[in-house]
Order: sequence, then C-alpha cells, then structure tokens
Amino acid sequence: MAAVSKTVEQVGELESYKHGFVSDIEQEFAPKGLSADTVRFISAKKGEPDWMLQWRLEAYERWLVLEQPDWARVEFPPIDYQNSYYYAAPSTKEGPKSLDEVDPELLAIYAKLGIPLKEQEVLAGVEGAPRYAVDAVFDSVSVVTTFKKELAAVGVIFCSMSEAIREHPELVRKYLGSVVPVSDNFFACLNSAVFSDGSFVYIPPGVRCPMELSTYFRINAAESGQFERTLIIADKGAYCSYLEGCTAPMRDENQLHAAVVELVILDDAEIKYSTVQNWYPGDPVTGKGGIYNFVTKRADCRGDRAKVSWTQVETGSAITWKYPSCVLRGESSVGEFYSIAITNGRQQADTGTKMIHLGANTRSRIISKGISAGRSSNTYRGLVSAHPKAKGARNFTQCDSLLIGKDCGAHTVPYIEARNGSAKFEHEATTTRLSEDQLFYVMQRGLSQEEAVQLLVNGFVKEVLQELPMEFAVEAQKLVAISLEGSVG
Amino acid sequence: MSLATAIKLGDPTQLPSRRDEDWRWTDLRGLIRQIPPSAEWAEVGEGGPFAAIEAEEFVVSNGHIEGWNAVVSEGPADIARLRVVATEASSNPATVFVTVRAGTSLLLLETYEALADGALTNVALEVEVQAGGRLERVVLAADGPDSVTVSTAKVALGEGAIFAQTVLTSGARRQRLETQVAHPGAFASVRMDGAYLLADKRHADITTVVTHQGVDGTTEQLVKGVVNDQARGVFQGRIVVAHGADRTDARMGHHALILSDKAEVDAKPELLINADDVACAHGNTVGALDEEAIFYARQRGIPEAEARAMLTLAFVEEVIDRIGHDGAREIARAWAHRQLGASDGL
Repeated sequence: MAAVSKTVEQVGELESYKHGFVSDIEQEFAPKGLSADTVRFISAKKGEPDWMLQWRLEAYERWLVLEQPDWARVEFPPIDYQNSYYYAAPSTKEGPKSLDEVDPELLAIYAKLGIPLKEQEVLAGVEGAPRYAVDAVFDSVSVVTTFKKELAAVGVIFCSMSEAIREHPELVRKYLGSVVPVSDNFFACLNSAVFSDGSFVYIPPGVRCPMELSTYFRINAAESGQFERTLIIADKGAYCSYLEGCTAPMRDENQLHAAVVELVILDDAEIKYSTVQNWYPGDPVTGKGGIYNFVTKRADCRGDRAKVSWTQVETGSAITWKYPSCVLRGESSVGEFYSIAITNGRQQADTGTKMIHLGANTRSRIISKGISAGRSSNTYRGLVSAHPKAKGARNFTQCDSLLIGKDCGAHTVPYIEARNGSAKFEHEATTTRLSEDQLFYVMQRGLSQEEAVQLLVNGFVKEVLQELPMEFAVEAQKLVAISLEGSVG
Repeated sequence: MSLATAIKLGDPTQLPSRRDEDWRWTDLRGLIRQIPPSAEWAEVGEGGPFAAIEAEEFVVSNGHIEGWNAVVSEGPADIARLRVVATEASSNPATVFVTVRAGTSLLLLETYEALADGALTNVALEVEVQAGGRLERVVLAADGPDSVTVSTAKVALGEGAIFAQTVLTSGARRQRLETQVAHPGAFASVRMDGAYLLADKRHADITTVVTHQGVDGTTEQLVKGVVNDQARGVFQGRIVVAHGADRTDARMGHHALILSDKAEVDAKPELLINADDVACAHGNTVGALDEEAIFYARQRGIPEAEARAMLTLAFVEEVIDRIGHDGAREIARAWAHRQLGASDGL
C-alpha cells in the first residue's frame, strides 16, 4: 500500500515545468554577437592571463572555418550566432568572499530551485544524509562554491573555472583541452572560444573526496547562451562523485547551451559523474522555445585500472545532442554509461555514448533506456570501438526503447568497430510499447492510467536509477513522472 | 555523391567517401583516383557458380546486356540466373529489371564474377514482387581480389508477397551489396540474410534497408561474418517503421567472428521506429571463437585446427540452412566450405 500511496502523492505533486520562472536580477552583458572582440571582452572581464586569451582567440579562429554537424537525427532552423549574448552575469562589484556576501536575491533564486547553498543544509533535509558541496553557475559566472575550506583540508580543489585559471594555472594549462581538443567539433570549439565559467575539481593522489560535489547550472538571461566548461582531474588512486543539475526559464526563443566537460582519470582512480538535465523543453504543443543542449562530455582514463561512470537522466531541452564518452587508454580501465532519456511534446534527443577501447583488457558497459511520448523523437546513437592494441577488450550494450503514443519516434543507431580478434562485443536492443497486459493488471488494482504508466515506466528505468546517488534518484524518479505528464489518455 | 554519377561524368570527386554517413566504412573516393573507361561486351562461357541448376541465363558482361535487361516470372517455379561479369579494367554500369508477376514464383540466382583487376562494376536492380508473388534471391559474390563492385537492389513488394534473400560474399578490393526493400506490411514477409567470409585484404559491405510502410508486416534478418588476415567486413542494417505501420514484427541479428588480430568488423544495426504498436529487436555480437568450445572438442580427440574449422562452419551454416531451394543451398554450402578452407588456420 505504501508504494501506491507514494505514487498517488507523486501524481499530486505533478507540475508541468516548475523551474520556468524568470528572475529579475540586475545583470551585465557582453555586447550582442560573436567576434574576436567578444572573446577579448569575456577574457578581460574575467581578468585572465594572456595565455588563456590566446587559447580562446585561437579557438575562435578555428571555429570560423568549422561546419555545424548535421548527422544527428534532429531538426532545427539555422542558428544565428550573432543574435545572442555570450556573456551575462549578475552585477557585483567584486566576487563574494563568503556565503554571507552573496546577493540575497540570488540565494532566494536557488532556494526556489531547491538547491542548498547554505553549508549546514543537506539536500533531503534528513539527518545523517551525505553532504553536498555545490558550485552554482548563474548564466555565465559561478556565483558561489560551498564547503571549499573543508575540502581544501584534504587537498581537494573545488572552485569555479575562473578561479582555477587564476589560482591553479599550472593544473589548468596541463589539462584544459587535453581530453576535448579545441577543434574537436563545432560546438566544443565555440565553447573553447567563449566559455565563461564552470567547475574545476582536482583530487590529489590517494584521496577519496569526503563529500559529493555538485554543480547547479541556471540560465536566466534572455537571448543568451550558456557555455560552461568543467574540468575534473582524479589523480592516482583518487575517487570522487560529481553531480550536475540544470534548469532554465520558459521562453519562446531557443537558447543555446554548449558545454564542454573534461574528465582526467589517472592510475587506479575513479570518477562517478551524474547528470540530471532538466532544461526548459519548449512548449509541448507548438514546440516553441526551449534549450538547445549541444554538449561535449568526455572522460580520458589515462591511467591503468582507471574507472569512469557516466549516469544521465535527460528529461529537458528542446534538442539534446550529447554523447558522454570514455577513452579507455589505460590497461584494464573501465567505462560505464547509464542513461535515461525521456522525450515528450516536441522534444528531440540524439544522445548516447562512445566507448573507445585503446588499452588491453579494457571493459565497458552501456545501459540506455529511451522513452518517447507525444510527438517527440528520441535517438540512441553510440559507438563502441576496439583498436588493434586493445587485446581482450569487452563491451556489453543494452538499449531499450519504450514508445508511448502513435506520433513519437524511437531510434537506435549503434556503431560497432572491432579491430582485433580478441575483442568481444555484445549489443542488444529492443523497441516496444507499454504492454497492454501490464497496464490492465495495474489499473485493475485501482491505479489510474497515468499512475499505472508511471509505475511501469519507473520499473523500465530502474536499472539506471539505481546508479544515481540516493537523493538524486528520488528527484529523478519524480522528474520522470513530470516529464511524461499528459502523455496518455 | 554516387558511383553512378561518377561513372557517368568520369569524375572521381563524385564518388562517395567516408564523409558520407552511409559510406563511412566503404570509402570509394579514397580508393579510386581515376574512373576507368568503358569496355565492349565479352563472351563468357555459360554457367557460373550456379551452373548445376537448370535456369534461364542473363549475363551482364562489362556493363552490357544482350537482349532484354528484364527478368520476368511467368509460372509457379521459375528459375533465372543473373551473372554480372567483368573481364577488363573497365567501368561497368548496368540496370536490370526483375518482375515477379502476381501469384508466380521466381528463384533468382545472382552471381558477381568481376575477375579482372581494376574492374569497376555498378549494378542497379529494380525488383518488383507483385501481390502474392514469391521471390527467393540467392546472391553469390565471387569477385576477384582487385575489383570494385557496387550492387544496389531496390525491391518493391505487393500485398502478401514473400521475399527471401541470402547474400553470400567473399569480398573484393571494395565491395558493397545493398538491398532496399519497400515493405507494404499487408501480411508480406521479408527475410534478409547474408554471410561474408573474408580473407587476405578483402573488403565486403552488406547494407540493407527495410522500410515498413503498412500494418502487419514481418521482417527477419540474420547476417553472419567471418574475417581473417587483414580483411574488413561491414554490415549496415536499417529497419524503418513508418508512422502508422502498426503490428510490425522485425528482428535483426548480426554476428561476426574475427580470426586475426589485423582483421576488422564494422557494424551499424539501426532501428528507426515511428509507430508504437511494434515489436522490434536487434542483436549484434563480435568476437573470437569460443575457446571453451575448442577445448571441449580437443578433449574429445579432435585436433585444434579441425575443431576451429568445424565451429566456424557451424557458425556460418546457420545462414546457409535457411536458403529455401535445395540445389542453391548445397552450392552455397560447398562454397562456404571452400571459402573457409582457404583461410589460414582452418
């Protein structure tokens, strides 16, 4: 009975998109449009050293000659890159020194979003629950990072990217762009030129990060793009778990979010990276507005026995173009990808992963659950490759798609490239609709159709939800329910 | 970008390259620097690989066809041999029409015999299987090691039609055997099997597209590959279910054995589904022979080489066993034995 009443309770909480508000906060912008001057403006605004400016300008030059990729199963009108702001920041005279100095208006916004920026608080409000250090990124800048002192005591560096460029230039210069090269692809290159902020994490050798690290991204300003850059380095034998969440206001225009995330994992280290993506998906009926989420995420398992695990719950955005990848370079390194992608209304998602096996005895595992409803399109696109030196490479991939309604699409596009005789790859995929029998059974027990669908969908995605840290799993389960609202009946 | 345009214009820049999504593993642009000239019809002896089966013979020789370029079935058990032959280092474009009239049945035995080095063959097949018709297409591509062949068959099916094909190939320098089926649903059924058995530096690409356009259609597909030495096998299978094509049941399987550390297998089994009342699935595996099975066989007194050959043959024969026509099936089986026997270590 408890499960039923809980489900009923969740249904009661359903709202269509509760993060869609706009906050009226004083902000400053870069002049509209993109040119070398915009790049200089951003760099100067952040007080960057010359090497960083040169790096950005070089990226901008390369971006000018790159072409926007068109192979994904998504459709959108041409983007006018000149009709957008590339820098928007809440006005402050100087960066806040402590939490007490953060603009109370900003704190109020984060409180409304349910993000704890006060250090004593915990996400679920449960005593004894794990604590979270948060880096809050508002449009183009990081407004605050919590628990910095406590983390510094064990040698963990957790700060905004701007601060890392100032305080830890040797680490940034060594690793920035080493996983996702400047001209890796059109959007990553654009990000390299105009990225404004993001999180930087360094875990020293042998340290297990004492708390969960998280970044919360919020787009607020109109006609602006968000280009954050995250770099996480787990030195030998280190471990960290990192979470990111994102929301944006409801607007009729499309806004671009082109982020780059780079993970470097050395010998015996491990990074667990979880994402709950809930950008504004656009109007469910007309398809107007919403975020274009064009993101490059890549992990480089540089060391032997390194491990990376990507877990993503993708429910928002008008268009998602995202392939968190694992370069398995170190011997016996391990890559994992667990994904739930839900599309409803007019959303389009083309998402998946790449497992690139370069080292001997590398292993990877892909579990992808796609759910399409409304008039949406949901594509899994993933690459598994083994190079000649990747002796004994192993991969297991499972892609399941669920269709709810007659007007949506569910597509599975795996690429398999095996270049040596000892690699062993297995892939299986299914596409079905919700079983009538199961629905009938559950409804016969007294659940409404909507509740029944939720229960079955939660069962369908359970394998992936289990991989999320506990508090996130609860949030994600609710999000799954909200995303599918109105998809039946 | 297509081979047909490139041959027509004599312009190699029109060739598909790895930048074209559908040709990423079968790069012609990077291989062919110059489009060879055309050649005259050359006489070849009757028969070919399916000589043992009595049939009407159609020959495409160096891109030329004597007489009609159409195969039309009239009766309940027609058999036709279509042989594509190249005897010179020439460009050989050709189009052939195949019509299976309503209620009739045809066994099409299609062979590719481009034995000349540097031959560039491009065949377009326009196939129509009318309502209630039945077509079994058995393709045996036995090209020479230095020829390039592209064959594209477009198949349109009528209500209740039955289409079954088995594409068998030993590869070429570059070779693409593509089949596109427009599936009307309507209780029509499709079987799209294939096997590539490759050695040396050969390449073969089996590409298929089945588009389910109406309700109540079935498709089953089993493609297997064995690659040795520095060979490269490519499988691209796409099943499309159009909006409203409910109760489609489509299953695809691709399984490959890599027997050498320099061989390569690339696969892209796609499902593009736009209707919800469907059951679609695909499975894909790539790997080496099961060492435990070899150990088991050796323990029973079977020498290792023999055990490997036995397991490899058993792996491939699953495809060959599904060929409907007895004679064609046994010719295919003998071909597979020869093909695998010729590889190192077998």
